Amino acid sequence: MKRVISFENVSKKYKLGIARTSLPSLVAQGVKKAFRPSAVKAPGNDVLWALKDVSFDLEKGQSMALVGSNGAGKTTTLKLLANITKPTSGRIETSGKLSALIELGAGFHPDLTGRENIYLNGSILGLKRHEIHGRFEEIVEFSELGRFIDTPVKRYSSGMIVRLGFAVASCIEPEILLVDEVLAVGDASFRQKSLKRIQSLIHAGTSILFVSHNLYMVQAVCQKALYLKKGQVQLWDDTKKVIEAYEHDLHAERASKFAGSALDLGGTETGLEITKVEILGVNGERPERFMSNQPAQIRVHYNAYQDMGRVSMSIFVIRSDGLTCFMLRTKLDKFNLVVERGVGTVLVDLEPLQLITGTYFIEAWFLDEADSIGLTPMGGRSDWFTVKGSARSYEESSGVYEPIGRWSHQHSDMIAANESQSKTTPPVSVESRQAE
Amino acid sequence: MINLFHSRDLLREWTSRNIRARYQQSVLGWFWAIIQPTAQVAIYTIVFTMVVRIDTENIPYVIFSYIAMVPWTLLATSLTDMSNSLVDNMTLVNKIYFPREILPIAALLARLMDFGVAALLIIVLMAIYKVSVFPLGLLFLPVILLIQLFLILGIGLATAAANVFIRDIRSIIVLGLQLWFYASPIIYPVSAVPENLRPYYYLNPMNGIIEAYRDVLLRSHLPGSYLVPAAVISVVLFIVGYWFFKRVEFQFADIV
Repeated sequence: MKRVISFENVSKKYKLGIARTSLPSLVAQGVKKAFRPSAVKAPGNDVLWALKDVSFDLEKGQSMALVGSNGAGKTTTLKLLANITKPTSGRIETSGKLSALIELGAGFHPDLTGRENIYLNGSILGLKRHEIHGRFEEIVEFSELGRFIDTPVKRYSSGMIVRLGFAVASCIEPEILLVDEVLAVGDASFRQKSLKRIQSLIHAGTSILFVSHNLYMVQAVCQKALYLKKGQVQLWDDTKKVIEAYEHDLHAERASKFAGSALDLGGTETGLEITKVEILGVNGERPERFMSNQPAQIRVHYNAYQDMGRVSMSIFVIRSDGLTCFMLRTKLDKFNLVVERGVGTVLVDLEPLQLITGTYFIEAWFLDEADSIGLTPMGGRSDWFTVKGSARSYEESSGVYEPIGRWSHQHSDMIAANESQSKTTPPVSVESRQAE
Repeated sequence: MINLFHSRDLLREWTSRNIRARYQQSVLGWFWAIIQPTAQVAIYTIVFTMVVRIDTENIPYVIFSYIAMVPWTLLATSLTDMSNSLVDNMTLVNKIYFPREILPIAALLARLMDFGVAALLIIVLMAIYKVSVFPLGLLFLPVILLIQLFLILGIGLATAAANVFIRDIRSIIVLGLQLWFYASPIIYPVSAVPENLRPYYYLNPMNGIIEAYRDVLLRSHLPGSYLVPAAVISVVLFIVGYWFFKRVEFQFADIV
């Protein structure tokens, strides 16, 4: 297999603080130095290693993901690959035409029309004029801009700009495509369309390097993944293993953050604090894995230091990539919640749970009666919990939840029956109900 | 430079972007290319023909100063645009790779278009004032313009790159252009400069360039030896400026 990217022991150092040097500050520093030499840090000593000794390679037609929290070095890696910046040490080789979907619409000029910007943006991305000309119709069609193509881009909505940016950047048919979080924007149908476009590029042999916080998308597209942590390689393996490790770390990190702040919830200020949020299975115990088709119960424990009167509660169920799957609100459900001094628990039964395979957590908030002002300084948060849906793997399921579907099937042997006929003779109905 | 040839489509697109963006929603559009130098010439004509008389060797003051004002305007506007060309497009520089020199060079080319438009008025003025045309001298015009372009490119590329690191460059350019304007024989003749200062005076390449334009177009003789230092200094500035630009271009994206 031909190698399209090879990244060998790459390190990238950034100097911090040096860009802020100005004459007044230099003078101030000089004066300070004269009096108290020890108090002054030498400028340029603040160094950040955005990447340290990172190696990986990618073969033609293969796709990989880059995961890691903010500041892990994902963007730096992309910039190095895109030749925007040079490494401090190490070697980077790429072969073939490279295109980056990094910031869609970055090259657009607001005063120029969509048409003019297609030519401009296309040429920035390295296309010849005649090449853009040949793809012009395709770009317009994909961006769904139609009659707005001769309108200045400054009058476009942000969604239109992103669509146009994606359409131009993806029409290049590069050998390597860098995708940075761009698919997080745009509406759902455009996201689907973009994902399809990316998948068709993969089929055509394009190698893709994907940066996304959306682990679901990453799993759908990439075979391998690189997990970066503070500029260093944490794991370089199959996507599935990497995501498991990454999710595990995320979980631990968030849990420790929450545990730390839960201590100083400052409940005394408002007189109310959430002490624990948990989700339990059928028998009142916490199972290893929740089943999608089984009931579950959310419990929110609280301490009230004074009588609060009528309050409302909002509960969010959030997937590991940050998507809020659903929310439950006492106000909407017209549940009358009165909290008096003491200790209590609010319970919600979910029958059944209905979530698909994945990792989730729960956040609960107390709000005032009007459901507008938070009563606790921060929400209570549950531990992560995993759900086992009916599908065996991520690839088999998509969407957010699994309602219980009752299947049926109607059939008629008359093709193109005219209206009067179909009114008088209803089609034969074959119905089969499948109980859970 | 080879890169630049490959990116000529981008250079053309970016140049036309600069021009279109400048004249978008502008009623007078291209006329601004003429209005700007003309207005300045009008002011100086009033000052130097009515208030203070100045000897321009029998050349009408209007054409005497307009012929210098047009190349000066090219230098001043393009240096201003070039020095801001990278800073104003940092989002692009930070996100997409393309030959960086495209930005300042396209800024220059866009101003070169203005120069071409403004130069048309020179022909009109020469006809009005019945200046005799000197065909041999016209052959020198591209050479003089080329020397001027080397000068602009050298300074423009260097300041464009330096401006990314030190924003003071922007202000220095504005101030420097003001001083440079009075240090060049645009609104006064070289003969007004004291004899003993002349050798130093020609260290300013703009002097040689402007004198050459005047000699060729108004005085019907070939440029003198004064053009040599102007050419040498311009080419050296170009080489140094371009070298500096290439040396630091990969640091642009590291500066946020």
